[in-house]
Amino acid sequence: MKSRINNRPKRHDPLLLLLLLLIIILATLLVKVIYNLPVGITGLGEEVASFQQRSGVVSPVTAVLLNFRSYDTLLEVMVLLLAVIGVWSLTKAPFPRKTIKTSPVQLAVVRLLAPLMCLVAVYLVWQGSHLAGGAFQGGAVLGGAGVLMLVAELPMFQQISSRPLRIGLLLGPIVFLGVALLCIVNGGELLAYPQGWAGSLLLLIESACAVSIGLALSALFVGGRPVDDLLEKKKS
Amino acid sequence: MSFDSPTWIVCPIILPLIAGLLCFLFRKNTFFIALFASLANLLSVAILLWQFLLLGPMRYSMGGWQAPLGISLRMHGPTILMLLMTAVSGLGITLYARGYFSFRIAAPKRVGRHERQERFFWPLWLLLMTALNALFLSADIFNLYVTLELVTVSAAALAALSGKPASQIAAFRYLLVSLLGSLSYLLGVVFVYKTYGVLDLQMLRQVASPGPGLQAALALMTLGLLLKTALFPLHFWLPPAHANALAPVSAILSGLVVKGSFYILFVLWFDIFASSISQNALNLMGVLGTGAIIWGSVQAIRQQRLKLLVAYSTISQLGYLFIAFPLALRGDGGQGAWAAVAFMVLAHAFAKSAMFMAAGTIFLHMGHDRIKDLTGVRKCLPLTSFAYAIAGVNLMGLPPSGGFIAKWLLLSSSLTSSQWWWSVVIMTGSLLASIYVFRVVSRLFVIPAGKSICACRPHSPLLEWPALVLAMIALLLGLIAPYPLLILETDTLVSCLLLGGGL
Repeated sequence: MKSRINNRPKRHDPLLLLLLLLIIILATLLVKVIYNLPVGITGLGEEVASFQQRSGVVSPVTAVLLNFRSYDTLLEVMVLLLAVIGVWSLTKAPFPRKTIKTSPVQLAVVRLLAPLMCLVAVYLVWQGSHLAGGAFQGGAVLGGAGVLMLVAELPMFQQISSRPLRIGLLLGPIVFLGVALLCIVNGGELLAYPQGWAGSLLLLIESACAVSIGLALSALFVGGRPVDDLLEKKKS
Repeated sequence: MSFDSPTWIVCPIILPLIAGLLCFLFRKNTFFIALFASLANLLSVAILLWQFLLLGPMRYSMGGWQAPLGISLRMHGPTILMLLMTAVSGLGITLYARGYFSFRIAAPKRVGRHERQERFFWPLWLLLMTALNALFLSADIFNLYVTLELVTVSAAALAALSGKPASQIAAFRYLLVSLLGSLSYLLGVVFVYKTYGVLDLQMLRQVASPGPGLQAALALMTLGLLLKTALFPLHFWLPPAHANALAPVSAILSGLVVKGSFYILFVLWFDIFASSISQNALNLMGVLGTGAIIWGSVQAIRQQRLKLLVAYSTISQLGYLFIAFPLALRGDGGQGAWAAVAFMVLAHAFAKSAMFMAAGTIFLHMGHDRIKDLTGVRKCLPLTSFAYAIAGVNLMGLPPSGGFIAKWLLLSSSLTSSQWWWSVVIMTGSLLASIYVFRVVSRLFVIPAGKSICACRPHSPLLEWPALVLAMIALLLGLIAPYPLLILETDTLVSCLLLGGGL
């Protein structure tokens, strides 16, 4: 009974053992199936290689992500945005009321690393066209820079109001969607980049998305909505 | 853009998406953006329907890349019915949500809270509409996963919107269960891709052959989708999540969201991998469906709170969709079972949205939803009580409702395919449904003598009419039954199945 109060499961909970048994059976079956899978199926690798020329980029990963299957990526970018909207709908940003004095060591580290990380992010996005890299990698590094600055508890980051953040978060999705719609205006299918323009359009989309992804990751780290411009106005 | 342009097929995805982004950006006049998007969505679906009846099934290659390299959209009979369902009940829900939030904002309780809820409701709801439309249109097994993910995240965020601890716990459990379902589906997709090397549904149908890889893939994907569809006994997350959410959100979750994962399951079992499905698996689905019907109804009868009752009735109604599984692949009865599924999905979407809206309105006015204290609600909310009763007629399956047509088709195909035991289940389910419907309706319409009824606050017609209109649509679905059947039959899917019948 005491263990229950401490919220600790009993040592030999029959349900847990049953679950464990089920998981083991499932895992064995899956391993058996994987062992029996046909070898030599290359998937769509050859297809990708043969159309690489027309994709506007050299890196096959970027070509798949942003050209061949760009529709998936468009929706994935929306998933990230949705996550932020969902978190914002739950609570206010849990910043401490009092401003905490940041230690000089922390400040020095942030001053050194944050600009460097932004540079790395730009480099990663730029690299995306011919090596591994791109919007998600660049955005992740940007997000890291954001988290670093947030951890330093600089008061200016806690004062950022909702509107500029929303614009930043929407930058990537809107640019992506705008390009997609322009392709229709141009007479093609949705996301069918015009011949010869693919490379530069991809770079544009990737840069905008990297900013939004970085912001989204930082916003998720904060875990709540920022100071609200609309409500403040109403109160005053 | 001319009416027969192939570009219309992306409109149900693009229009709500743009509107959702705008609602997040601007925050003022968001209702009008949402209303415009819902209307435009309905209009574009109507044009798609017109194109479909004229030109037949369509495919659209995203980015101009043909399958297998690129992602395709496709439109066939079931797609167009699901799009219509989303568009029509979506418009109703948009209107109702406005009435709901304005009523709560007008109350001087908890200032600021309801404005915030409404502000976040619109972008989440519009993105959910985008995700559902994208799901129904998708012709790529991995793209289906991405749309499922979009549906999951937006639905979980909506479920948590009310801010009450109970709803947040339920929403978090919903999120975890849904993610588990999505991951299970994704693992299945990996097996499919490793076995066949393609992701496009059409191509998969051509190359699919029974084997251990496909069996594992199907088992994993089915398990994940059943979790999301809340088929008994995987339904445990549904009642708290649906009953604790805000009323318009409950209508969305119960009416539309569960249909998304069911649609994928349906397409996988009866279209893409139909040749690899064994009769035993179909019978198992039927048995689980039976369990859902009985268990869901019994639980609904036992509930003390109105919204929980409606949520449990969703579980039992979802059971009928699975009863159709063992009937669908048996000779001449097959087509009837198909049509039954279509009618059940449509009728349930409209009726259940209407029912949750009515329950929400009753909750707003009475301040509670304890069933035993709901006597005489008819006096102050006549339209809402009527809407609830009409929706109940659908759940019981009385003529001429869509629910009646669905059950009739199921009954007849169970008799023609000499599987009479399913018809016993269907009739028992209807009997139980009438018990839980009349339990509430009898209280709503009886005014006890000498008891003062609630003092009713004035409210906009948006709080009552959408529920009534949706319930009436569900009721009249039976009268226009030939048209949905026509849409289904125009499809190549059914004919393919009937040709390749005796599996």
